[in-house]
Amino acid sequence: MALSARLLTLRNSPVLLKLPPYLSALCIVIGIAWFFILPLNEYSRQTYVSENAILPGQVHTYFGGSEHNVFRAYRQEVYQLSQFSETDRLAALEKVLREIGLKVAAQPYHFTVAGEEVKGTNVYGVLQGPRADATEAMVLMAAWRNFEGEINYSGLALALTLARYFKRWSIWSKDIILLIPADSTYGPEAWVSAYHSTSPDITATRNVSSLPIKAGALQATVALDYPVGPWGHRFDKLDILYDGINGALPNLDLLNTAVAIASGQMGIGCTIHGMLSHSDSYRDRLTTLAKGVVTQSAGQATGPHSAFVPYHVDAITLKTVGDGWHDEMSLGRTTESLFRSINNLLEHLHQSFFFYILLNANRFASIGNYLPAAMLLAGSFTVTALALWVQSGQVAVGPATKMEGTEKNGAQPELEVVKIGDAVALVPAATTKPAEREMLLPAAVVLAVHLASFLPLYSLNSLHRQHLPTALQTTIATSLLLPALASTALTRRSQISTQQIQIMQSFSLLLLGTSLATLATLNFSLAFVVGVLASPLSFVRPLPRGTTTGFPAVLGRVGREYRYALQVAMNLIATLLYAVASPPVVLYALCWYFSQDVGGLLLEMAKGWSVQGVYTSFVIWAVWWPAWVVGGIALCRGGGER
Amino acid sequence: MKLAQLLALPATLISAVLAIPEYSEHLHLRPLPNGYLYAGFNFTASTSLSAYESQHFRYFPRSLGQILQHSDTRELHLRFALGRWDDESWGSRPRDGKREGGTGVEIWSWLDSGGGKPAVEERWSSLVNSLSGLFCASLNFIDGTKTTRPVLSFEPEGTHRGGGNGMELLHGTLPHEVVCTENLTPFLKLLPCKGKAGISSLLDGHKVFDANWQTMSIDVRPICGLGGDCRLEIQQTVDIVLDIKRSMRPRNDPIPRPRPVEELECDESKSYHASDTCYPKRKEGEMAWSLSKIFGTPVRGSCHVADGDESHDISLEVSPDRAVEVSHGGSNDTLASHEQNQLVRTMRLPDSARQHTDISLPQHIFQDSPHQNRPTLYASRQITGCGQERGGMHTVLHNPHTHQQRIVYLESLPWFLRPYMHTLKVLTHPTNSHDRPTIPLKPDQMYYTPALDRKRGTHLELLLTIPAQSTVELTYDFDKAILRYTEYPPDANRGFDVAPAIIRVLPSTHNTHNTSTAGNEIGQDSYFRTTSLLLPLPTPDFSMPYNVIILTSTVIALGFGSIFNLLVRRFVLAEEVPRSAVAVRVAGVLGKVRGVVGSLKGRLRGGGQGRGGGGVAVGVNGVAAEGDGGMNGVSSVVESRKER
Repeated sequence: MALSARLLTLRNSPVLLKLPPYLSALCIVIGIAWFFILPLNEYSRQTYVSENAILPGQVHTYFGGSEHNVFRAYRQEVYQLSQFSETDRLAALEKVLREIGLKVAAQPYHFTVAGEEVKGTNVYGVLQGPRADATEAMVLMAAWRNFEGEINYSGLALALTLARYFKRWSIWSKDIILLIPADSTYGPEAWVSAYHSTSPDITATRNVSSLPIKAGALQATVALDYPVGPWGHRFDKLDILYDGINGALPNLDLLNTAVAIASGQMGIGCTIHGMLSHSDSYRDRLTTLAKGVVTQSAGQATGPHSAFVPYHVDAITLKTVGDGWHDEMSLGRTTESLFRSINNLLEHLHQSFFFYILLNANRFASIGNYLPAAMLLAGSFTVTALALWVQSGQVAVGPATKMEGTEKNGAQPELEVVKIGDAVALVPAATTKPAEREMLLPAAVVLAVHLASFLPLYSLNSLHRQHLPTALQTTIATSLLLPALASTALTRRSQISTQQIQIMQSFSLLLLGTSLATLATLNFSLAFVVGVLASPLSFVRPLPRGTTTGFPAVLGRVGREYRYALQVAMNLIATLLYAVASPPVVLYALCWYFSQDVGGLLLEMAKGWSVQGVYTSFVIWAVWWPAWVVGGIALCRGGGER
Repeated sequence: MKLAQLLALPATLISAVLAIPEYSEHLHLRPLPNGYLYAGFNFTASTSLSAYESQHFRYFPRSLGQILQHSDTRELHLRFALGRWDDESWGSRPRDGKREGGTGVEIWSWLDSGGGKPAVEERWSSLVNSLSGLFCASLNFIDGTKTTRPVLSFEPEGTHRGGGNGMELLHGTLPHEVVCTENLTPFLKLLPCKGKAGISSLLDGHKVFDANWQTMSIDVRPICGLGGDCRLEIQQTVDIVLDIKRSMRPRNDPIPRPRPVEELECDESKSYHASDTCYPKRKEGEMAWSLSKIFGTPVRGSCHVADGDESHDISLEVSPDRAVEVSHGGSNDTLASHEQNQLVRTMRLPDSARQHTDISLPQHIFQDSPHQNRPTLYASRQITGCGQERGGMHTVLHNPHTHQQRIVYLESLPWFLRPYMHTLKVLTHPTNSHDRPTIPLKPDQMYYTPALDRKRGTHLELLLTIPAQSTVELTYDFDKAILRYTEYPPDANRGFDVAPAIIRVLPSTHNTHNTSTAGNEIGQDSYFRTTSLLLPLPTPDFSMPYNVIILTSTVIALGFGSIFNLLVRRFVLAEEVPRSAVAVRVAGVLGKVRGVVGSLKGRLRGGGQGRGGGGVAVGVNGVAAEGDGGMNGVSSVVESRKER
């Protein structure tokens, strides 16, 4: 009780009421600063293999010798196939797989995205483990075209050679599926979704046929990306791609196993996010971290493996980079050893982290270390929302509205005589009194803005690709006009009060805060990035209009005649800054910064949304955009008179 | 087609000669396409029922006999199986799938039903527990949740007194059980020669369990002759499919390392063929093999123990133009084809116990790949869906024949898999059309016993007619139950295994025009089993940081919530709470309505009958309220309510 009594005395403390903006700013500063300390040794850890069953690099690999001759022949064969028409190529691939001794099947798929037709056929073969019981499987994937659109000659040839080599072993406890998707985004997506779908429904945009052959629960997927033709090319390092759709990550153990085998057993260096030279300095670590956060927050596929991760199938892509002295046999032996390790698994990979940010191929920050950054950012909105809520419940009592320039004199509090029975006391007079909150209108406005957010969400994801940039420009125009128009309408029509504006902002920020906090546990990077970009929303207050409240005291000495002009100028600057922080403008700015075509980016987002279920655009348009619009309404409504 | 006839062959020969010998054994060998070899071992022993009842055992294993007597078992079928039969390339299954089990352990038996249900369950429990000890298998885990009572799927194989009345069928499966050498050893111990002599000397654990598919079975059944003399017969079979190449690897070098470059067989027709580029040639024909190389040992001696056993020990099914060499001790011989059936060669092991026998075949290039029977049916069954909450079952049955087939489809599901029977869909479509399955197929009969949590599993049995050359898809959705944390087995959590579905193809009753393709199936049941399935269930995991986050978040939410309440919430007495504007307005409207109603009532009463002061008073009150309207109306209503 003592605590609650003490807390009760705090209720009207003026210090407490003034605190929230500073607290909120502090949250943002610490949240962003937190991000920069993550690369330090104290806040990150060396990776380690957590699952004992994996035993990475403990087996002797035998892939080599005459297999190299076979590999060269398969690479020539793949090269010849690339000259064929698609139907001939598929038939020839099926024939090769059948000769190896696999059960072969094909799966055609067809997507319609943003007015674009995506068609292809996946070919796959199942190597039935001689002593396996058909309950589990691992996938070896070599897409016909890699993520950059090059033909994956050597990767596919290596996968075929490995399949032929694996066929001779009787040690497999799981079936091995050799999957050859037609491309690196839609093929794997079509295959893995058909593998798991309960009832394959054909919709207008999605026609994925069911799989004739299956092989139990998928345990892990390894994709090979080695787009080198029959002329050969030795590589320097292996780039390990691991980001899944929506920032879902494969178990860290799979990544660690690949790194341990490649660098420990085979002596091949591993890189992350294409950082070919990584000196393990703070700067390099931070760059890797930033690249990881950007890729994860985009939520888009980063390689053929990405489609598997949302289905809880741990997957990575091994991509060869650079010029060096490692040849295809080293990659083959790495893959062999990796499959032997996965084969050892008694249970699904679960032991190690699913939430991590890599700073290096063997250094990571775990969720406990990085989550506070995003949570603090999300918390800043909640703090402001609560402060606004408290403010909205109090109105100033008559004479307490002080004249400008009397702050120093007004420090003397007004006193009041209170009489209870015989006791008489002199207490400071209450400067505020509780007010009834009128919540219907604010709630309706917030709801309406959130509903309106489905317009940009729908138009930017469903229109034909030609119209996407136009749609974004329209969205910019309407987004910028909407707050001004809405606030005018609300002021004129409904006579929205300052209190209602506060409540409206409070609702909106509360929603933003909770959404981001929830999102941070699913996709840290997206929550963090949106949190940083939306952080100005905490400090949006109605612009001063016609009055001098909130006017900087320093400027008070400048002549009164300039005051109005200055105010207009300040308001303009604030409005401009606010406009710059709007989601569509930020999208444009990002395109400019990464020197990407706006149409291309929008097309990628639309494809991700409709084919792979990437929810980044939902977060942008249905979480961030409404909060921005509501902030804008508050900003434009102006303060001063009721 | 031939396999069933072949297996029946020795039996028909013997039965024509004399009474059944008390013990006989037989090995059937048949090369399969793509370099595989099927080896079917069969050991049959029998004893007269009177001797069995007086506990006089000779070739019938005593240990098993006593268990059967103790548990009043009339007929027993026990299966240990591992691996998959490749229907597509190996054709129809040996022994029509009747001696085959689903992955893991499967047992079904007819027990004396005297004493009611508890007594039967007592007997069943005693049977599986005793067998568990005898075969070193976890059969004791077959409890009520893993036991079903199929209605249509099984029929007794023996002849029973009273036509099968007074006995009850129970069926249990253990899909997770890994069959291993420890199960083979007690299996061999039941034989009279204990794996030391005769064909059973080939059964070495290393080879049997390196097979691509293997199934061990024990079947005990009573058979009665026409004269009324009844015998109890035990059949033990081991069926394996070996990869010839893998089995022939020398023991000192079992690792399939890449062969030296000189040994590679290249396809030289490829344009890019070079000294360092070699497209592997497709394997054609069959490599040379011999019994001693495949099984690691020749057949040691023979096991001709019973009187009157004149049957052939080994039969070999190869094309007639193939040379087969037999070596007894030191002498070599050529094995000629059987007179009646050119495809079969039979031989009898020499009686001498010391002599070793070996069969060897040279490499053989087929002109055309050997003809395989099409299996009666292709079946596959998979769990679909992802996530830990729900999923779906998807079974595809494909009838390749030109006649329709009646099948019984049996599923016994564990209780933690909760199927929704209203989602059960059976759809069919012709195989060669690419349309989606649209025609619903109505099961002829359906037996369904829903599961009871922790007590009983689901039993689903469907009698279906599969149209000619068509594919039937059977789907239903299910929920995954959440287990108590003590119910998870202590071993690595791989998921839970779901027993294979059992499919019984009923004999075709109508003898249609195409008997040539389906000739051997007519009049005979055949069985199939799908592969077992892995069911991942939600698993508690208290070691992850995620749980830490959840816990801290809960604590913060509780603490923050109460402190925030104290800081922000206004505390007022109940009386101080002003009435909300909406409530006041609603009350006002109500008051008006009431006033109107009251005045109407008053008018009715006053005008119609002209008496009753109360009515008048209400009417007056109502009129007054109507006149004032708004707040006054409310207050008057409130007051009048108080008065009442």
